[in-house]
Amino acid sequence: MLDPVFLAQTILNGLSVGCIYGLIGIGFCVIYNASGIVNFAQGAFVMMGGMITHVLMQQHLPLIPSALLAIIVVALAGVVIERIVVRPLWDRKATMFVMILATLAAQIVIERLTLMLVGDQPKSIAVFTDLPPIKLAGVAIGYQTLWIMGTSLVLIAALGLFFQKTLVGRAMRACAINREAAALQGIVVSRMLAMSFALSAALGAIAGILVTPTQFTAFNVGTPFAISGFIAAIVGGFGRPFGAFLGGLLLGLAQALAVFGLGSGLKNMAALSVLLIFLFLRPSGILGSAK
Amino acid sequence: MKAGSFFALALAASTAFAGSARAEEPFKIGVSVGLTGYAAAVDRSWRDGLDVAVDYVNAHGGVLGRKLELVVEDNKSEPQEAVTVYRKMISSDHVGIFISGCVSAGNFAAAPFVVRAKIPMMLCSILPPQPEQAAWAYSFLAPPRFEVEKRYEYLKNHTKIRTVGVLYDPSPYANFQKTLAVNAAPEFGIAVPVVEQYKQDDADFSTQISKMESADAKAVIKIGLGGSTLTTAKNIKQLGLNTLLLGSVDDLAVLKPAGDTLGSQFLFVATPSQVYDALPQGALKSEIGRFLPLWKAKQGERDPGWAGKAWDAVMVTVEAIQAAKSFDGEKIRAAVETLPPHQGTGGVYNFSPTVHQGITVNPFLLGTFEGGKVVVKD
Repeated sequence: MLDPVFLAQTILNGLSVGCIYGLIGIGFCVIYNASGIVNFAQGAFVMMGGMITHVLMQQHLPLIPSALLAIIVVALAGVVIERIVVRPLWDRKATMFVMILATLAAQIVIERLTLMLVGDQPKSIAVFTDLPPIKLAGVAIGYQTLWIMGTSLVLIAALGLFFQKTLVGRAMRACAINREAAALQGIVVSRMLAMSFALSAALGAIAGILVTPTQFTAFNVGTPFAISGFIAAIVGGFGRPFGAFLGGLLLGLAQALAVFGLGSGLKNMAALSVLLIFLFLRPSGILGSAK
Repeated sequence: MKAGSFFALALAASTAFAGSARAEEPFKIGVSVGLTGYAAAVDRSWRDGLDVAVDYVNAHGGVLGRKLELVVEDNKSEPQEAVTVYRKMISSDHVGIFISGCVSAGNFAAAPFVVRAKIPMMLCSILPPQPEQAAWAYSFLAPPRFEVEKRYEYLKNHTKIRTVGVLYDPSPYANFQKTLAVNAAPEFGIAVPVVEQYKQDDADFSTQISKMESADAKAVIKIGLGGSTLTTAKNIKQLGLNTLLLGSVDDLAVLKPAGDTLGSQFLFVATPSQVYDALPQGALKSEIGRFLPLWKAKQGERDPGWAGKAWDAVMVTVEAIQAAKSFDGEKIRAAVETLPPHQGTGGVYNFSPTVHQGITVNPFLLGTFEGGKVVVKD
């Protein structure tokens, strides 16, 4: 018999994980819009966010400064990747496939460096609010879930304002619409590229910091997150940040409902089949592709 | 001297010299381990335990006049990689025996051509399923049912919990244990209404755990290695459940954060060397006591559990070579099956032509963390 509490709990669990997928998906979109590049090092940013926060907290730094420092360091790492990996290829007008390969290589290098620096044992950070979950009609709402959902919504709103109201945000949007025309208008497209890497790395780091208290982080957790974020971006309509967030929610929800109805052995197969059918019906994703 | 006699003498001298050089060549032990990937915590310990054991043997003169040498290859916890590294160690390194880690799918995948090369396999994993392959393999793991039974015994004897959920990863070892867990449950008066699989890199198990809660399961039997145990613990806490989490044998570095998260709600199957201080005096404690100082000298306070089993695998191999008086794979294999019972750090190994899983008496204990320290619960 259908257990409504379990169903509600499943939906909540799915949406919570989906928020993380969505934030990672947004990272893909921001870089893609500025450059046309699909950055597969996005998962490494998620790992670094959680890992750096863990390392700093081990040095007895409180959560908030640790998290802020981690976000800054990861954003700078994004710029470094853009400068030493992407920019040289971009200047040589390398094809997108070469760029993708380069970002994949960057992901592997970051993983290996992390392995050498902190080892392979799983690490974690404490939940932000260490209180028992709120029980609402039998459904447990963990405080970390609230942090994940709340922060995601605030970030979505902030990104909306950033892209609508700020000069840099509008310049990024201009690059997304037509890079050549944006350049003719005086926008330094290469600078936008660096900024988009910083922004998407920071978003990845925030996702990592939010999700690590609910699981663990290790040098190799980035790739599965990158895959989920990439799927979220495609489902949402590649290049549409808000669409990527919706895509992430849909993916998380589909996975959770697959566990609910079919069992976790079929989770990914069922969830991806549903999303594939959705893309057959609407190939450009939820909001339509940006390009 | 005639030219012919001179060449004959030179050939004899060079043959004798080559023979002596061969005798002094180290005996190579192939090691396929997941130094990265989900099995890394266990397999790194296994590799480091082998290192301690080989140093010990070499410091005592080696075996039959030859030193031991490890050839270690990272299979990245992936079966495809394992096939590649096994092939490399056979064809390029010419190893004489394998003492490989816990990536069971990798050991299974390589077994057909390892058997064709007539090289014995000492394994940290379960045995390959094909009898002709298992004939060349010897497992230093306790039978998987021991891990399951230890947890069920605890639930039956110390709690009122009679309904559990099983959460397992897709590795052959975990799959096998899952089947055992489902089949053995009725013997302990336990029902298993929910059996859920996870992938080692899944981000969240809340839905699987909620499903178990919905089916009134009051304990989770977690079967699998690595950080997923910590994710399970965190998800149980996040959901505010009183559910017990009973973890598999694993590295203490993996288990401790789960203990820190769930406190007394978290229990795990402990190897004897993980709870050395709590062991009674006897042959087991004595053998662990032989290994532990050497381990601590190199590795400090790292978990000695899996490393101790690797030590056992080397010691059994050495005994078999000495008994066979040969480094030939077939002769070593025959000798392993006729050795007297060997007291190791993980229990007593009693291999025979029909028993290739050496441990036949359950050596496990049930551990938990109190005040950051491992304590025995039963």
